[in-house]
Amino acid sequence: MADLANAELEQIDLAARAIAEPRRRQILALVRDEELSAGEIAAHFDVSRPAVSQHLTVLRGAGLLNERREGTSRLYRARPEGLADLRDFMNGFWTERLERLKLAAELEQQRRNKRGKRRDDGGGGRGRGVDRRKP
Amino acid sequence: MEAVEVEVWIAASPETVFDFFTDPGLMVQWMGRAVETDPQPGGGFRLEIRDDTVASGEYVAVEPPERVVFTWGWNSEDSVTKAGSSTVEVLLASERDGTHVRLIHTGLASAESATKHGHGWRHYLDRLATAAAGGDAGPDEFAEA
Repeated sequence: MADLANAELEQIDLAARAIAEPRRRQILALVRDEELSAGEIAAHFDVSRPAVSQHLTVLRGAGLLNERREGTSRLYRARPEGLADLRDFMNGFWTERLERLKLAAELEQQRRNKRGKRRDDGGGGRGRGVDRRKP
Repeated sequence: MEAVEVEVWIAASPETVFDFFTDPGLMVQWMGRAVETDPQPGGGFRLEIRDDTVASGEYVAVEPPERVVFTWGWNSEDSVTKAGSSTVEVLLASERDGTHVRLIHTGLASAESATKHGHGWRHYLDRLATAAAGGDAGPDEFAEA
């Protein structure tokens, strides 16, 4: 699970890095509502076609862009759900952590109860089992 | 702002569970492999979960045994959820000889929330990009489609 969490963190970082570049944000805006070919996208910019291709590759790698082949051309469209991953990730992260918290806290409670009981058996006074664990 | 809410019931008293949010020796059992805390309002914490995965934040409210609030973020340079950018509130209530834990994580950016509020894609991207750039919004270079 830790590996999975880490992989998802990396995915989110990929998305963040992808859109940190202004031109890539412009590309995403272009294909937000309509599917465009690489050529049509490149026509909007005064940079080289390979540079645009490079941006498209980064956006696809980050899960922010869908690519579809039609004949000889490739068509691109934004994939907004790629960004919903952050919420899903944190949800999974906390669910997993709280499960671990449950196991650890229940064990700790048993330890504290035993300690409290021992003190009671020995005639000790304050044993409510709420003291800190000794190192 | 988008929120994540997670709940769990634990067979331990709220006092015991509360300590797991403040005591490094207990916190390390569920949050990572190295933990430092200064559990008072304004005090910081640092959780080393893995080599390259470190979370940190500041305690906002420390009210044993019922409530603890802290800011939350990842220390990675280009993380979307930067340190201090989101908030976690934990509520502990006695229930059935144990503790009902509610954890609410607010302040998360998401495509869903942006769409719900009518700003859509563009608004969300701007926010995410701002976060990615370390909180400096810079010029809006977004082109209309």
